[in-house]
Amino acid sequence: MRLANGTALVIAAAILAACVDSKGDKTVDRGFDSKPLSQLKAGIWIDPTGCDHWIIDDGVEGYLSARLDKYGKPVCSGAAPPNTAIGPYKSGSAVSDPI
Amino acid sequence: MTTKYSKAVLAGIAGLAVALHVPTMGSAADGDQGNAPATIGEAYVPTIWVDPDGCEHWVMDDGWEGYMTPRVTRDGIPVCRRGNTCAVMNSDQLFATDSARISAQGKARLAEFFRTAGATSYVIAGHTDSRASDEYNMRLSLNRANSVARVAQGVGARIADVRGYGERMPKASNRSAAGMRENRRVEIICLR
Repeated sequence: MRLANGTALVIAAAILAACVDSKGDKTVDRGFDSKPLSQLKAGIWIDPTGCDHWIIDDGVEGYLSARLDKYGKPVCSGAAPPNTAIGPYKSGSAVSDPI
Repeated sequence: MTTKYSKAVLAGIAGLAVALHVPTMGSAADGDQGNAPATIGEAYVPTIWVDPDGCEHWVMDDGWEGYMTPRVTRDGIPVCRRGNTCAVMNSDQLFATDSARISAQGKARLAEFFRTAGATSYVIAGHTDSRASDEYNMRLSLNRANSVARVAQGVGARIADVRGYGERMPKASNRSAAGMRENRRVEIICLR
């Protein structure tokens, strides 16, 4: 069990070292499933008020951004009940997300 | 024991992160104010992601975290490549002047539209030209939008919102008769 913890620590440190060095280009996803961020696939998360947000689970990163109509008002489509997420928001990355 | 260990790990990670996280000078050219004084901060240049509605969002990937926010103008209007306005009904074809009552023919046309549009729900927004007072036009446009919404509900369509913008959101100039005619309208946004 101790060994497992140690291994996890080494892996965590390695991933961190690869990520923390002030990544210059913030416009690309990188690592196992690197791609331009413009290719992200979104679903819809409905907030407790009932309004829509675009939700993207890109394996490691998660994104959330308000869905607005052309007048700048929140879109509350009623597509699903509050506090639920619908659509292909986990389909943008081949990296499995256990969480 | 587990708690203690993970705290130590966390401290180590935090220390490492601080050590490696060297801020860089942002150059003045990064901002849109060309001659602004140089500011100290890390460069965070976003790219654009276009949502399924066709509207743009600023997006950044920090290597670990991801960030996203809608791209709006300084007036708070989203920047969109295409909208999800799926119908613009000219008011002259639905209503008599100053009235919010829809003609029988107009009702049939609207009902047919909502039966076949197939959206999850709809936003109905009424607009007028600039004749008469702002207050009057706000009320008339809302009444007209509500009339359209009632037809929609009559055929089982779900209405997400009903609004009246009066003369405040013209899409053409009010200085010509043709422009005013274009401004008298009820817009239907299809939410999918």
